[in-house]
Amino acid sequence: MLSQLQTLVREVDGRYATDAELMFLQNYLKTARLRFSAYQKIQKAEKDIIQQVKSKIKATEPQLLRHGKVDLSVKWQRDAVRGLRYCAHALLVADEAGLEEGFLLWFQSIMRSFKAQPSCNITYKVMQDVVRQHLTPQEAELFCPILSQARRLLGQ
Amino acid sequence: MDTPSVHSHKLRQQYPQKHNHYKFSDFFQFNASTGTIADWNGSRNILTSEDFIIGLLEGLEEEVGAASAAVMYSIGLEWGKQDSLFFDQWFEREYNISPQQANLMFLLETWWWPFTAQGWGRWEIDMADRTQGFMFINLFDSAVARTLGDVGKPVCYLYAGLFAGFFTEMVRKQLSCIEIQCYSMGETYCKFLLGAKERIDAAAFWLNEGATASDIENRLRSGDSL
Repeated sequence: MLSQLQTLVREVDGRYATDAELMFLQNYLKTARLRFSAYQKIQKAEKDIIQQVKSKIKATEPQLLRHGKVDLSVKWQRDAVRGLRYCAHALLVADEAGLEEGFLLWFQSIMRSFKAQPSCNITYKVMQDVVRQHLTPQEAELFCPILSQARRLLGQ
Repeated sequence: MDTPSVHSHKLRQQYPQKHNHYKFSDFFQFNASTGTIADWNGSRNILTSEDFIIGLLEGLEEEVGAASAAVMYSIGLEWGKQDSLFFDQWFEREYNISPQQANLMFLLETWWWPFTAQGWGRWEIDMADRTQGFMFINLFDSAVARTLGDVGKPVCYLYAGLFAGFFTEMVRKQLSCIEIQCYSMGETYCKFLLGAKERIDAAAFWLNEGATASDIENRLRSGDSL
């Protein structure tokens, strides 16, 4: 929405915006309440969400949190928290394009340089299952596609 | 001469530890009162058009003829060497570790991100042959090749020099670089070979003889030399 708003400001110069050009704002307003409530729930439950994701990965794919004898779980946790926060922000302002430009493309290159795609793939898959336990189905409907976008870009 | 100053970037001052700062509106700061553009690392930037790039290359060719390729390479080489030193400073300041302590791929990706933000294109490094003393760099969306279009020959000498200069300084060993495939030859992306001078000379010879990038890759991997 923010990226679209910037485009709108740039395109609609010295004239009124058309109905079609304002459609994204209508769509945003329709979902704004859900976005706010989901954002606040994620914010409050951040610690639990990350712990639950970590426990699930530890139970099913423990090798993803280790590199030989080195324990990567602290580093994983820092990255997972950061990813969750940026995704939650994208949910709040409905800006998947901004998420990609401002965070995911950069993080993708960093994750690839550490060969961490398998870890990201599982993390953002499990995270979708976990957040469903904290959100209503309608809220999850808005948030899970964003986590899926993160999984697609970071997990390959 | 403009003196780079990290203090001039307001967002950087506010979030000095923010690493994902390559979005256009984050990376650049437009200083309207001085008419200058500073980037996150304090470098002075200018915006140029494709006409500028064409003018630069054609003007140089008119002045020095066929030597323009070597001139562009030399400019890139110096730029790469100087940028390597500049990079060492800002990398250490941003990540609180020295470049020598960092994961190599992470280090290289970090070096290239400002270039991506500035419009020089995205890259991909193929280090599979590093132990053999050479490596390949794929460049997507070269500013030079994209501007010139399909002219039937490699045109990214500036980039080849830049890579040679940066890696020479980084590994403290004289390295050369050649573009063996270019968007301006009708390919979908540009490909550079980086290595010791004798290897690059051999690749240049094969290229002149009509070899393709994959021919050169195969010959190098099979240990061919001149």
